[in-house]
Amino acid sequence: MDVSGILEEHKNKFKSIQVDRLIPVEFDLGLLSCFDINMLDENKLKSNPTTRNNYLKELAREGAQLLINELFSLPTTIDEDSYYATLPKPTTVLPREKPVPKEKPMTRWEKFAKIKGIQKRKSSGKVFDEATGEWRQKYGFKGVNNDDQKPWLIEVPGNADPFEDQYKVRREEKKERIEKNKRRSQRNYEERVAVEKGIKPHEMRKRELQKALVMSKQSTASLGKFDEKLKGEPKIKGVKRKFDPLVGSADKEKSKNMEILNKVNKGVTKSTVLNVRKAQRAMNNAKRNKK
Amino acid sequence: MRPLTDDETKVLFEKLSKYIGRNIVHLIDRPDEPYCFRLQKDRVYYVNEDIMRKATPIGRKNLIALGICFGKFTKTGKFRLHITALPYLSQYATHKVWVKPNGEMPFLYGNHVVKAHIGRVTEDMPEHQGVIIYNMADVPLGFGVSARSTVDMRKVDPTGIAVFHQADNGEYLREEDTLF
Repeated sequence: MDVSGILEEHKNKFKSIQVDRLIPVEFDLGLLSCFDINMLDENKLKSNPTTRNNYLKELAREGAQLLINELFSLPTTIDEDSYYATLPKPTTVLPREKPVPKEKPMTRWEKFAKIKGIQKRKSSGKVFDEATGEWRQKYGFKGVNNDDQKPWLIEVPGNADPFEDQYKVRREEKKERIEKNKRRSQRNYEERVAVEKGIKPHEMRKRELQKALVMSKQSTASLGKFDEKLKGEPKIKGVKRKFDPLVGSADKEKSKNMEILNKVNKGVTKSTVLNVRKAQRAMNNAKRNKK
Repeated sequence: MRPLTDDETKVLFEKLSKYIGRNIVHLIDRPDEPYCFRLQKDRVYYVNEDIMRKATPIGRKNLIALGICFGKFTKTGKFRLHITALPYLSQYATHKVWVKPNGEMPFLYGNHVVKAHIGRVTEDMPEHQGVIIYNMADVPLGFGVSARSTVDMRKVDPTGIAVFHQADNGEYLREEDTLF
């Protein structure tokens, strides 16, 4: 039995997977894309819509065909019931969505470390505790840094008050250290804000202080009227209301009012320029009349 | 007494434009005599320039009223129209509602206008639009805000509210002490 005829017929039903391109098409399989830089046929593009659409559809099909041909040549892995092609890494560089973040100004410590040439050493966050035979965090929860709070007995230092609670002393010392660190980081933050605003940090601090001073002075029942004056205290100037003259030129007032009216009308027209209901009714009426 | 600031003028015009639309121009730009808006004790008066000049020597505490009071600024800076502005509003009104004779008294006693009392409505009135209310003899009775658009009004049942009451001529009696 000769089946070549049937095979031939079956083959003719589908388009060829062979696509010819004058300039070879570039692929970026990592992004599942291909780039065709061949010239478009201008005659077909400018002709009537059906041929143009068919031409564009054909182009798209051929591009997709090329891409799929390429995909099938990739190495595959077989999972339980399906084949997976492993895609290479994308080669096309996509522009980033957001602008590159600005560099933060250096903190005081970073400046100091740079001058002194102190470099950050990488160290693991864990320490081996020989007493328990466990690895423990250096800082934080269950950290080694809390160990000085723990011992069941603390020797009173030589020149200390013997009746002082040494546990309390240690507790408070730690609290103070934390507070100090917070103050430092707050200062770093404020200085950073000032630098970003283009003001010298101490100028900024001065300004803030004066603002706070004015606020606190005004916060008494008499708005600071009977408070003692400080040395070099800034004078508070309120905003003075200013009105147009009662009897001015009538034309001037009229033109000013007209200006404001135009502004108001602009806002009004925006919302009322199209009366949707009226337009709908007009449309419906037109349709009815046609019938 | 003082002229309005820009912000106050804007608030005033925005409110007026809800009732008379672009016809505010006719209030500002009058062919006969120059008129102006003046503020006296939170109230806005629409007054002839000539009369305003004559009122200048009167002190702020002593001046009770001048011209026609359009309304007053609330303490929060909004503007509230008074019934005394009705002659001008009705003259330039863009949207009108005519009330049947049986609906006149309920409205003049300060009630909303129900649909059953409506005689006639201008076409293409949107929802929440400032409207002037007339009786069937075309005498302005007051003003309010439309509760429904002209199209939706057909669907409302007869007792449903068609126009929200804002001010009516009855206020001349009811609010006699505070209005002026």
